[in-house]
Amino acid sequence: MIRALLDRTDKFLGRGKYSIAVPVMDGPLHPNHKLDHAAHLFDAKDIDNLTLIGTDIWCSSGAALLRVSADGTPEVADTFDAPITCLAASGDGATAIGVDGGGIYIRGGAHNGRHIEKLGGNALKCATAVAFEDDHSLVITVGARDRVHAEWKRDLMTQGRTGEVWRVDLTNGTGKMLAGGLGYPYGICPTPNGLAVSEAWAHRIILIDESGQITPVLEDLPGYPARLVPDTAGGYVLAVFAPRNQLVEFVLREPEFLHAMTTQVPSDHWIAPKLMWGQGFKEPMQGAALKTMGIIKPWAPTWSYGLVVSLDDGFAPVASYHSRADGNRHGVTSVCAQGDKILVASKGAGVCVALSPNAVAEAN
Amino acid sequence: MSLSETFVRARSKYFPDHMIGEVLTKRWSDNAVPFAALILVVAVFGTINPSMFSSFGLFDLAGQVSEYGLMAIALTVVMIAGGIDLSIGSIFALCALTILAALNVYNLPLGLTVLMTVGVGALCGAVNGLLIGYMRLRAFLTTLVTLIMFRSVYEIIMPNFATKIVMGLPDSFIWNEMGLGSLGGLPYAVYLAAIIAIVWHILLSRSRPGWQMAAVGGSRRSAFNAGIKVRRVVFMTYVYSGILVALAAVFYGARLNGIGTDTGVGIEITVLTGVVLGGTTLGGGRGSVAKALMGTVIVLILQNGLLQMGLLGTTSAMILGLVLLFGVWVDVRWLKNREKLLNSSYVSPAYLKLPDAPDPEDGGVYAVNDGLANSKPLALGDVEGPEDVAIDKDGNLYSGSRHGEIHRWLAPDYTQHEIFAHIGGGTYGMNFDKDGNLCVCVGGMGLYMVTPEREVVKLTDETNRTPWSIIDDSRLRLADDLDIAPDGKIFFSEATYRYSGHEWQVDMLESRGNGRIICYDPATKTTKTVLGNRIFPNGIVCLPDNQSLLFCETWACRLMRFWYDGPNKGKVEEVIGNLPGYPDNINRASDGNIWLCLIGMRAPVLDMAMTRPGFRRRMTRRVAPANWLYPNINMGCLVKITPEGEVIEAFWDKDCVNHPMPTSCKEDRGHLFIGGVSNNRIGKWPIPGADPEWSEHSKWEQNT
Repeated sequence: MIRALLDRTDKFLGRGKYSIAVPVMDGPLHPNHKLDHAAHLFDAKDIDNLTLIGTDIWCSSGAALLRVSADGTPEVADTFDAPITCLAASGDGATAIGVDGGGIYIRGGAHNGRHIEKLGGNALKCATAVAFEDDHSLVITVGARDRVHAEWKRDLMTQGRTGEVWRVDLTNGTGKMLAGGLGYPYGICPTPNGLAVSEAWAHRIILIDESGQITPVLEDLPGYPARLVPDTAGGYVLAVFAPRNQLVEFVLREPEFLHAMTTQVPSDHWIAPKLMWGQGFKEPMQGAALKTMGIIKPWAPTWSYGLVVSLDDGFAPVASYHSRADGNRHGVTSVCAQGDKILVASKGAGVCVALSPNAVAEAN
Repeated sequence: MSLSETFVRARSKYFPDHMIGEVLTKRWSDNAVPFAALILVVAVFGTINPSMFSSFGLFDLAGQVSEYGLMAIALTVVMIAGGIDLSIGSIFALCALTILAALNVYNLPLGLTVLMTVGVGALCGAVNGLLIGYMRLRAFLTTLVTLIMFRSVYEIIMPNFATKIVMGLPDSFIWNEMGLGSLGGLPYAVYLAAIIAIVWHILLSRSRPGWQMAAVGGSRRSAFNAGIKVRRVVFMTYVYSGILVALAAVFYGARLNGIGTDTGVGIEITVLTGVVLGGTTLGGGRGSVAKALMGTVIVLILQNGLLQMGLLGTTSAMILGLVLLFGVWVDVRWLKNREKLLNSSYVSPAYLKLPDAPDPEDGGVYAVNDGLANSKPLALGDVEGPEDVAIDKDGNLYSGSRHGEIHRWLAPDYTQHEIFAHIGGGTYGMNFDKDGNLCVCVGGMGLYMVTPEREVVKLTDETNRTPWSIIDDSRLRLADDLDIAPDGKIFFSEATYRYSGHEWQVDMLESRGNGRIICYDPATKTTKTVLGNRIFPNGIVCLPDNQSLLFCETWACRLMRFWYDGPNKGKVEEVIGNLPGYPDNINRASDGNIWLCLIGMRAPVLDMAMTRPGFRRRMTRRVAPANWLYPNINMGCLVKITPEGEVIEAFWDKDCVNHPMPTSCKEDRGHLFIGGVSNNRIGKWPIPGADPEWSEHSKWEQNT
C-alpha cells in the first residue's frame, strides 16, 4: 500500500524510476569536434564491424564483407544474404561472421565451415558481437533472443531484456549461456578479469566472470554503447552509437503513447534514437534543433550523435571524440585500434575515419 | 472515436486548464492561500463558538480588528521595504499613554491630543528610521532595542498618570461616541480604519512612494541604481509605521479609556503572525494591505476563539507561535516554488485531431522537388529573421528583423542596404497601403505604420478586452500578419495572446485557439476583434469583394475564409482543411492565385501527440523546454493555390539550405521574395511564367 502510494508520488513528481534525467557529457566526455575533424579514409554504405585481420582492415557494408587494400580502397571479399552483424578474427586465421537472422559462419582456421545456427535450442538471430577467446572458443552477444538486429529500435522502445551472452566450443559446436536477461548486449571483449560486455539499453559496461557473476564497471553512459575493443596502448575503446535523450526517456515512460507510436508509425519517424537524423520532414523535431540563421546549434538535441570513448584498464573514461548535432559522423557502431590510430566506422554517415589522438589534439 | 478519446476531447474543450496558469501569473493569486485559511478559521470557530459571530461578538472583534489591522498595515509598510519593526508594541503603549494623559489629565482639546499622539508615534518611528535607514543598522536588532527602550520610557512615566487617567473624564462628545457608539452594529473606529486602509492600499499599489518601497524591498541595489533614494525611503517607512501605530493607539484609548503595565505587551508577535500569515514576505518586496488585514482577522479569530474555549493564555500563545512558524514555512516554500508551479502549469494543451492529409512522399501536387534551386540569396548575413518582406513602387525591398528594425535594400541589385526605420519590436507581417505607407505588425507592440518620410506611427496597440478573460488580452501580444482591404481597413491576425514572439512555437503544444483576427479602421481610428478563438491565425489576404478575407490557422493546418461584411457577415468557411504542413503567410500572385508558405510538414508522431493533451502536458512538465517535441519546421515549401482552395503546385528547396522555414513570400515584377523568421537571408526567385509588370501595388491602381 505504502509502496503503491510512493510509486504514485514518484510518478507525479517524476522521481525514482520515473525520472527522465540524462547524464550530461562532462569531464572526459566534454564535447568536441574531433570526430568531424578526423581523417577521412573511405566511404561505404552502412559500414560496420571494423576488424583487423592480420594487418588488413576488414569491415562490412550491409551484406558485403569488405577488405581494405593497402592503398585504402575497400573491395568486396564476400557477400551474404543478409546484413553482416558481427565480425571477429582469431590468431590462427579464422574469421567468425554473424549474419542478421542467420547465425554465425566460421571461415578458415581449424573449424572452417562451421555454422552456428542455434544456441540452447533457440535460433541465433541477432548476434551483435563476437570474439575469439582462443582458437577453439568463441564468445557471442545476442542482442535479443527473438528479434533480428534490424529491429533494434523496436527492441529499445519496448525495453527488451532478452539479450544473452554465450560461449561456444568450436570443436563440437556446443554452447553455454554465461548471462541472460540483458538489455541488448552489443559489444564483447575478453579481459583478464572476465568478459567485458556493453549492455546498450542499460547504458553500461558489465564484467561477466567465470561463474556468471555480473559486475557493472561503467554505468550511466550518456548514450547507448556498441562495440568495445582493446586499445593498442592499453585500456579499451568504446563506440557509442546513439545519444540518450530526455524526450525518448519520457516517451519510454508513457505506455499508451509508446504503444500507439510503435504500432502505427514507421520506425524511421519515431521519437527514438537513430544512426543519422535530419533526413526527412516526417521526423519529429525538438525545440532547440530549429535551424536558426542557417545554423544548427552544436548542442541541439538530436536523435543521433557520434561518440567514441577511450577507457583505461579499469573502464574509466579518459578521453572522448565527438561529432555533435552540427556534425554528420554519427551512429558510430564499431571502432578498431590500429597502431596509434583509432579507426572509426560511422554507420550513420557510411564513412570510415581515422583518429590519431596526437594529430587530433593538435588540430584543436 | 473511442470512448476514452471522446472523454479526453470533452475535457480539453470544457475544462479551463489554461486558467490555472493564468491565475498564477496574477499578483493577487498570492492571496488565495490566506483567503482559504480565513474561510477555514471562520468556519471552524463559527461552529465551535457561534457567539463569536453574534452582534456583540462582532462588535468586539471589529474593534480589535481596526486597531490590530492598522498596526498590521504599519508592519507591512516596513516589511515591504525590506525591514521589520518589533517596537510597535512599545510605541503603541507610549501613544496610548500620550492621548489618555493629554485628554483625561490635562483636558486638552481632542484635535490637539490626536496630533500630539501622532507626533509621538512619528518621533519614535523617526528614531528607528534614523538608526536603520540612515545609519544602516540592522532592523531586527535595532527595533528589538528600541522595543525595550520605548517600553522603559513608558514604564517610567506611566505610574505618574495611571490613577489620574482613570479618575479624569474627558469632556469630548466625539471621543465618547468613538469609544461607545456604533453605526450599523460596528464601532466608528472600523470605518475610520477602513478609510485609512483604502488610502494605504492605493498608496502602496498605485503611487510612486508605494512602488519605491516595494522596489527597495525587492532589490535594494537595483532600487539604488534606478535612482531611488533608498535611505530616505527606508527612513520614511518607519515614520509611517509610527504614525499608523499612533492611530491604532487612539482607537484603543477611545475603546478602553485606560492603560496598564501590560498595555501593548506582545502585540508585535500577534501582528507579525497576522502579517506573515497574510502572505507578506519577510524578505521584502511583496505585501499588501489586503494581505495584512486577512492575516490579522485570522489571528484575532484564532486568539479570541482559543480564549473563549477556555485555554490558558500561555497555551494560546504557544499555538500562536506555531501558527507563526507555519506561516513562515509557507512563505518560504511559496516564494521558492511559485515560479516553478507557474512554469509547469502555464502550458495547457488541448485536443486537436487533424484530418488525414496528402503525403508529399506519395507524389501528387505536394511532391518534393527542387523548384526553388535557382533562388538567389539576398542580404545574406545582413538581416536576421526577415519574417515578411515588402516591395515598394520603385522596386526597393523592405524586410523586418528580430532586432526591431525595418531594412531597405535598394533596387535593382539589392546590394546597398540601409536601416529604413527603427521600431523596437520584432517586425512581422508588412504591406504597403494606398498612399505608400508601410504598415507593419510588431510583436509585443501592435500595429505600426512607417510613412515614406520614415516617420514611425503607432496605429493601434490594443483591442477590446474579452469579457471575463483572466489575462488582460486587450494588449496586442503577437500581431502577426496583415492585409489591407480595398476600402483601406487593415485586417491583422494576432497569432496568440498567451505567448510572445520568442516562444511562438510553444503555442503549438497548446493548439487551443488563442488567436484572433482584428480590424483597424484608419477612418475612425478604432480597433476591434472581429473573430476570436482561432488556432494560431497567421497569414491574411483580403479578397477583392471587400467583404471577405482568407486566413491560415497554422497549427490546425488549414486555410479559412471569413466574411467581415456583406450578407454572409460573420461566416467562417474552410477553404483547405487538410494541408500536409503548417501554413504561415499567404500573399497574392500575379495570376490571381495565392502563394502559401508551409513552414514545416506534419509528422505522424506529432499528429498522434495532438490528440493526447495529457501526454503533451506531462511533457512540458517533465522535459526541459529545449527538448520539447515540435513540428519539424526545418523543412518547408511554397504552395500555389487558387482562392477557391485548389492546390496547383508546390515548390521545394530540397536540401533546405537556403529556405529551411519559409514564413512569407511576396511576388513582385516576376520575382518571388522569400522571407524566413529564423533565417539570415531573403530569397529572390524568378517565377516561371509570371507577369513581369505585376506588383502588389497594382491592386490600388485597379481600384482607383
